[in-house]
Amino acid sequence: MRTFLLAVSALALSTPGFAQTLFVDDATVVAANGTQSKTDIIVVDGVIERRGARLSAPDGATTITGGWVTPGLFAPMSSLGMTDISSSGPGNDVSSESSPTNVSEHAADSFNPRSVHIANVRQNGITHAVIAPRSGSGSIFAGTGAVVSLTGEFDSVIDPEAFVVVDMGETGTVRAGGSRAAAMSQLRAAIEDAEGFFKRYADSSDGGDVLSRQDARAFSRAVRGDIPLLVRVNRAADIMRLIDLQAENRSLDIIIVGGAESWEVADEIAAANIRVIFDPLKNLPDSFESVGSRLDNVAFLEDAGVDYAISNLGALGVTKPATLAQHAGAAVVEGLRWDQAFSAISSVPASWFGVGETSIVVWDGDPLEVTSAPIAMSINGEDQSMTSRQKALRDRYNPTKEDDRAYKYR
Amino acid sequence: MKPVSIDLSHKIAQETVMKNLIPLLLSSAALVACQPQTDGKSDADKSDDTPAFASTYTPQESSDVLLRNATLIDGVSNEERMGDLLVSGGKIGFGGSGEIPEGVTELDLDGRYVTPGIIDIHSHLGNYPSPGVQAHGDGNEVTSPITSEVYAEHGVWPQDPGFDEALQGGVTTLHVLPGSANLFGGRGVTLRNVPSRTVQGMKFPDAPYTLKMACGENPKRVYGSKGGPGSRMGNVAGYRKNWIKAASYKAKRDKGGDYDRDLQLETLADVLDGKILVNMHCYRADEMVQILDIAKEFDYKVTTFHHAVEAYKIGDILAENDTCAAMWADWGAFKMESFDYINENVPFVHAAGACAMIHSDDQNNIQRLNQEVAKTWADGNRAGLDISKAEAWKWLSTNPAKALGILEETGTLEAGKRADLVIWDGDPFSTYARPETVMVDGAVLFDRATGLKPKSDFRLGYADLSEGVK
Repeated sequence: MRTFLLAVSALALSTPGFAQTLFVDDATVVAANGTQSKTDIIVVDGVIERRGARLSAPDGATTITGGWVTPGLFAPMSSLGMTDISSSGPGNDVSSESSPTNVSEHAADSFNPRSVHIANVRQNGITHAVIAPRSGSGSIFAGTGAVVSLTGEFDSVIDPEAFVVVDMGETGTVRAGGSRAAAMSQLRAAIEDAEGFFKRYADSSDGGDVLSRQDARAFSRAVRGDIPLLVRVNRAADIMRLIDLQAENRSLDIIIVGGAESWEVADEIAAANIRVIFDPLKNLPDSFESVGSRLDNVAFLEDAGVDYAISNLGALGVTKPATLAQHAGAAVVEGLRWDQAFSAISSVPASWFGVGETSIVVWDGDPLEVTSAPIAMSINGEDQSMTSRQKALRDRYNPTKEDDRAYKYR
Repeated sequence: MKPVSIDLSHKIAQETVMKNLIPLLLSSAALVACQPQTDGKSDADKSDDTPAFASTYTPQESSDVLLRNATLIDGVSNEERMGDLLVSGGKIGFGGSGEIPEGVTELDLDGRYVTPGIIDIHSHLGNYPSPGVQAHGDGNEVTSPITSEVYAEHGVWPQDPGFDEALQGGVTTLHVLPGSANLFGGRGVTLRNVPSRTVQGMKFPDAPYTLKMACGENPKRVYGSKGGPGSRMGNVAGYRKNWIKAASYKAKRDKGGDYDRDLQLETLADVLDGKILVNMHCYRADEMVQILDIAKEFDYKVTTFHHAVEAYKIGDILAENDTCAAMWADWGAFKMESFDYINENVPFVHAAGACAMIHSDDQNNIQRLNQEVAKTWADGNRAGLDISKAEAWKWLSTNPAKALGILEETGTLEAGKRADLVIWDGDPFSTYARPETVMVDGAVLFDRATGLKPKSDFRLGYADLSEGVK
């Protein structure tokens, strides 16, 4: 293993990516559904050209023995491209504290594909991500989120109007003016505003109860169920209220984000066809709305047949998706099969958000192991650079490098 | 009816006691009579002069046990090796091989890993406890940039459920510090991660006090509109002004005779006397080197820089100054001074010959510091280093023990040290491994197989957390 790692490291430093033909001998190939098989595989310019039991290395190919070949990872929640540093102030577009608008604000308009964190995070095998805004003061609505690929190119927004996000629970109470009842009242009223858009805003000048014209129009697609409504919520009782809301508004396609106490009402969530984005490492009662947090939340969701995706929802800020695989690995410890955990950070959220792009990552080991890393990756057949600002800093200060020049000249 | 119910409650109470005693041993095969392992005196009684808030920590009862066929990472050797480990009287009898006492209980580990207990040098458990309500914010005395008179331990709530979860992640000792709002934040405290009604019952006996100081963005942000400091220049002026005061206070104190006791200056004078270890929150490389110059100017030592996101840029300078760096594996970009984070910070500092270690500063990451080390270790080797797992383990226990002044007591599996150790159910450098058994002073405080684990008062009465999948 040591020899393999060293061989790979030389490769990673000198010729990153698929720039040349890769021959992965005795590869563990992971299918979209997460199942593993063993085969040899030849990748040319980021596209799998051949697979078979006894292939031999094409001329000039770089050979990697025992690597893993998987679809790229999909981060179901992030603020990538919306901020350079997570502190507040100009440059942080994750929330708009004092804007007069809410649902009509598109995260895609804030998205900067050239943010260094796109390449930083991509080095962890993440090829696609949801980018979601957060609510500012004055409204429970955070805005409209997008789905992006991590190519760093200007055409990397795949769906600029992928879902609407609303903050309920404790954050929602603050936004709504002080109570859960207020947050719920505003959410119900907003649904009525959007449903009655033409009557309230187009055919009359009365307007709506809580949403302005452009926000009501932006909310319509989610109210019709054309796009999901992502609701940040953790407490079991709050989840039950959401289930009630969904029963009153059958067209709503709700995805819970958080769901710390979803294990308590997993059967009810499953029956309502509500999906959950959660963090398998959340186990502390860090607020009164998440006192029931527990590591085996995932086992209850799986048992009840809930459709779920795994995310890092804890600390770290904008670079959060970098540890996505580590969080999925924790779900394996809590009893998920490997293929289920891997799907929950790849094909499952990708299908939720309609991402049809193919992506390939060649790893130096099991991608859910914290010690593994990608060697090469491609998105839609396009070779992806394996360099980043982090790696540039690493290379400048690498103590194994002999270099007498001053650091700024390295 | 009433007497019956009283009898019943006695019975239940007794059964509970029994239930709690049995898992103190490793398994049913390991059942032997418990032997009291101390004469009932607390470790803290060793000290002659009893200071205020003295430690009342007394190890829980433990049994002698021989762990057979363990894969030992001992915190000293750079190689892991197969061997036996004897826990005797709450201490490490031997790690590797040695004389086996007759009749000692044996447990065959079948190659499972045994490591020293993890030591987290940067935690706010207890002073920013769960639930994180405003009323629980006891970690930052945000009323003045100079608060060297406050003690972190006075804000530690021993019922923080985070202590229990950290124990299940293998953390046996932790250092709780004041936050980083102030230039001089106050005294930090080193705790045994043991269930206790009081913080005194957790205090690591005779561990030196520490002083938390902070560089950079936090103090100038917090006090910029409250009288300063409002810049890094103001930060440095603030340190120097107060070291001057401290030197003059120390001179008076050294002279003996009458002087007005001043808690704020007392802490700083104790630093100048070398009794208190300086632990400084500092991100930027250039700033850390400025701080080392201030330490030279006033003749004190910076023991450890915390966070030290740019430590990899000055590993050689840290080594020359014998100053440690406590770092994350992959945190950064949450503020300007953490923008230059790299995943190889810990191994690069280590490779430069400086004392490197992992730290959490977080109630979640403290539960899996082994994985944080595994990540940064693998990235370091990918960048061309050749560090073994056993060598990298020092970032989890040996180096933090050294930095906290407790290496003679814990941090490695050397004979005679406190038996603070973790038995793992797999390779601790794997995502899939978890602690199976955690011992503090030889007492089993967590045991996955028997379900033994501490449960904070706060956890009581909520939906049952011990119940398995429905």
